[in-house]
Amino acid sequence: MIQNLISMNGYGLFVWLSFAITIVACGVIYYKTYKTLKKYEKAFAKELHLLSEADRKIILEKSKVANQVFASYNKSI
Amino acid sequence: MINLINPSKIFVWIEKITNFINSVFFIVLALALTFALIISPPDYLQGDSVRIMYVHVPSAWIALASYTCLALLSIMSFLFKIKNLNLISKSIAPIGLLFTCLAIITGSLWGQPTWGTWWVWDARITSMVVLLIFYILFVLINKFIKDEEKANKISSIIAIIGLVNIPIIKYSVDWWNTLHQPKSISIINGTSSIHSTMLMPLVLMLLVLLLYCALIFLMKYKTEIIRIKKKSIKRL
Repeated sequence: MIQNLISMNGYGLFVWLSFAITIVACGVIYYKTYKTLKKYEKAFAKELHLLSEADRKIILEKSKVANQVFASYNKSI
Repeated sequence: MINLINPSKIFVWIEKITNFINSVFFIVLALALTFALIISPPDYLQGDSVRIMYVHVPSAWIALASYTCLALLSIMSFLFKIKNLNLISKSIAPIGLLFTCLAIITGSLWGQPTWGTWWVWDARITSMVVLLIFYILFVLINKFIKDEEKANKISSIIAIIGLVNIPIIKYSVDWWNTLHQPKSISIINGTSSIHSTMLMPLVLMLLVLLLYCALIFLMKYKTEIIRIKKKSIKRL
């Protein structure tokens, strides 16, 4: 049965290669996208750190985006 | 309505939706792969090579749907001047590019055992290559033109011009004599000539790839919002 699954009656190379290419390509794009997102989150959080305590507090209170990114970054470190 | 597509409002939901997709993704993937590679029967004519359909067809559908969204968003961006629409377009484009490449590559892998050739310049395949070129242009323009407003304008024009190619791709198998088989599923009429044992894995694979697209789109969109907010951090 496993032999049949691998060979797919002679079409195994084409079928498995199609699925493998799709999975690998999707995996690579996911990894790259995730890395880029984390890089930007880190840069954003660093920029917030550079601000004075008072400014940072105002921004975190006013901006939901800043608040979430800051929280997510702090969680990841 | 415009307030609903405010990035700050959407941003709050991104985390929740991403967590939900992550929790169901691998279950649906395992189910879809089991159906596509093990449970579904071989075709009476094409044998087991028909299983390539389960990645090729959803990839092609997503490639076409993404481009249609891209072009419609570009038209709306031109008409209503909503900057957020450009962010959404930029987040969709890489997904469309990926799935256009996958549709072409898996199509070529299907063509060899079915037609006896890896490649032929027939109407459907050539129009898909044209679609790929439009996607590449859109992504490259946004990547290399530093003036954001100019990049948005040029890429929107490219996207709108490329919209002409979508009906050409869809109807190429009806308008010209091609090696590519005619459509088996009509979404407009709700009809399908595919047997339910093959339709089920096709729908499951489509669902998996759509979940994947949503995941990538949300991450890309989040990245774009953070990039914009970072630029004007002191004005937040």
